[in-house]
Amino acid sequence: MAKINTLGFLVLGTLFFTACKEEVVPVPQEGPAHYVKIEVDPMFDTEVLHLDSVYNTQEGYDIKFSEIRFYMEDVRNGSTQLIDAGLFDYRARGTVLLRAEGKGSDFGSLQANLGVGAANNHSDPSAFPSESMLNILNANDMHWNWSPGYIFVKVEAKVDTIPDGTPLFNHNVVLHAGLDPNLQTLSFEDLTWTTTGNDDVLRLKLDMSTFLNGSQVIDVKDEPSTHSAPGQEALTLKVMTNFKEALTVH
Amino acid sequence: MKYLLLVFIGFVLFFSCKKDKVGYVPTPYELEIPSHFPQMKIPEDNPMTVEGVELGRHLFYEKKLSGDNSMSCGSCHAPANAFSDPNQFSTGIQGIQGSRHSMALVNLGWNNFFFWDGRSKTLEEQVLLPVRDPIEMHETWTNATKKLKADAKYRDMFYKAFGTTEPDSLLAAKALAQFLRTLISGTSKFDVMYKYENGLPLSDAEQQIFNEITVQQWGGYDLFKSLNGADCFHCHNGPLMQVEKFSNNGLDATFTDLGRGAITGNPNDNGLFKVPTLRNIEFSAPYMHDGRFATLDDVINHYSHTIVMSPTIDPLIEFAFQGGVQLDAQEKNLLKQFLLTLSDEEFINNPAFKAP
Repeated sequence: MAKINTLGFLVLGTLFFTACKEEVVPVPQEGPAHYVKIEVDPMFDTEVLHLDSVYNTQEGYDIKFSEIRFYMEDVRNGSTQLIDAGLFDYRARGTVLLRAEGKGSDFGSLQANLGVGAANNHSDPSAFPSESMLNILNANDMHWNWSPGYIFVKVEAKVDTIPDGTPLFNHNVVLHAGLDPNLQTLSFEDLTWTTTGNDDVLRLKLDMSTFLNGSQVIDVKDEPSTHSAPGQEALTLKVMTNFKEALTVH
Repeated sequence: MKYLLLVFIGFVLFFSCKKDKVGYVPTPYELEIPSHFPQMKIPEDNPMTVEGVELGRHLFYEKKLSGDNSMSCGSCHAPANAFSDPNQFSTGIQGIQGSRHSMALVNLGWNNFFFWDGRSKTLEEQVLLPVRDPIEMHETWTNATKKLKADAKYRDMFYKAFGTTEPDSLLAAKALAQFLRTLISGTSKFDVMYKYENGLPLSDAEQQIFNEITVQQWGGYDLFKSLNGADCFHCHNGPLMQVEKFSNNGLDATFTDLGRGAITGNPNDNGLFKVPTLRNIEFSAPYMHDGRFATLDDVINHYSHTIVMSPTIDPLIEFAFQGGVQLDAQEKNLLKQFLLTLSDEEFINNPAFKAP
C-alpha cells in the first residue's frame, strides 16, 4: 500500500510540474519573403517629370500635370500570374506601380492589360479583397458609377495656351479613359530585374511627351476633355494608344 | 492524512492553470457592414469590442471631457443632424465660434483622413483634438481622465473594455474611435438604387423599397451622374457617396481659409477641402466647409450658376467657365428629389447611436 501511495505521489508530482508547460511549436524555417516590384518613372522627353511643374508642349503651350494614374491588370508571364492589378498613382503613391510576392527570375517577360479586363471591370468593386487595387477603397475615384467600371488611364493637367510670358494656367485638361472597347494589352520582353534587398525591381518609363505626341497628336487646347462618353470615342482611344506607346522598359 | 494530501495536490493541479484576470473578457463586436460596402479596415491595436464601443458611446456624450463640464462631442455632432451641427459654426465652452461647420459623422471607418483639412490620418488621432482645442471643449486630457477616473462607472467601463481602471487619453481615444466606426449608414433608398444599378441582389424588403422609388428620383440620379447634367459623380461616387480627395469647388476667388493648403504649405492646395459624403445630406445642413449655404436649394444653385474661378479650382468642375452646370428649375427639382434618397432614417434613429 505504501508503495502504491508513493507511486501515486510521484505521478501527481510529475503532472504538477509539467501541466503548465508551454507547448513548444516548432517554427518553420523559412527565408524572408521575396518580392517583385515594378516602378514607373514619369518623364517629359529627357527630363524627370514632377507634378505641378511646367513643361512645354510641341504646340508651344506650358503644361502642368496634376494627376497621372493608370491600371495595369492581370500581370503575368504566360500562365503565372504575378498580381491581379497594380494601380499607379503618381501623386498618392509615387513611382510604385505594384509589389507582389515572387521572384524576378520567374518573369523574364510580362503580359498585362492597360486598364481592367471586362470580367473584373463589371464586378462589384466592394467585393475585391481589401489589399486588391481593384477594391473600391483603393480604386477611389478610379471607379465610376455612371457607366459602372474602372477608369483605365487618368491624366489631368492645367495649361497656359497663350505664350505671352504671363503664366495663366486656366485651361483644364481632363482625360479619363475607360470602357471595354478601349482596353489595351501590354507586353514586355527580355526583362532585366535589379535586386535591392528583398525586392527584384523592374523600372518602366512613362514619357508624357510621347503621350501627347505619339502616333496621333493630342492637342490639349482643342482636345482637353474626355470621360469616354458617347461622342468622345476618338479622343479616348487616342489617350489609350498614346499612353501605351509612352510606357516602355527603362 | 495521505488521502487528504492527495486531494490537496489534485486541487492544486486542477486550478494551477486558471487565468489571472477574471472579469476582463472583452466581447468581439461584429460590425454590421452592408453587403454592397467594402470591408472596413480595423487597426490591429484597437480591435472592436462590445465593451469598447459602449465605453466610446458614453464618452461621446460625456460633458466631463470639456473644461467646464458643459459640452460633449455630441453637443456639436447630434444624431438628428447626421451627427453634425444645425448651426453654421459651433460655439465652444468659452463662447468662441469656430470658422468651419461641424462635419457629419457618417461611415468614418472607411475614411483615411479627417477634418475639413485632413490633418488627422486616423480616428484615434482625430478624437483627441476637439477636447483640447481652446475654441471647442478646452480641456486637457490629464484633467479629463482625472474626472473619468473619479467616476466609478468609468473605472468599471475602462476595466471591462481594456482591463484597467486607469483611464488615459489613448484608451479614451480608442473607445471613441470604436464607437465612431459603428456609425454606419447603408440603408437608404439610394442603397437600393446602387445595388440595382450594379446588378447586386435585392432582399424582399429592398425590393419593396425599390418599388417605391419615383420616376423623379431616378431622373435626378441620371442627372447626378450625367456629364452634361449636374455632373456630381466625380466627387460623390460609389457606395459611400464620397471620393476621398480634397477639392476646391469654386466657392471663392480668393481664400480667407486656406484649407488643405494650411496643412501642406503647398499653394496648389490652397482653397481645397475634404469632399464630404452626401449620405443623409437632408439632415446635415448647413452646407460647405463654412456652412455658407442654408439649404439644399442653395447648394444646387451654387453648382448651377455661381461657381467662381480660381487658380486651384478642381479641373473636374468643367462648367466653371460659365458659372456652373446651368440646371433649369425642373432639373434642380429632380436633383433634389434624388439627394433626398440618401436619407437613412434607420441610421438617424438608431438607439445604439444615441446618448446613453
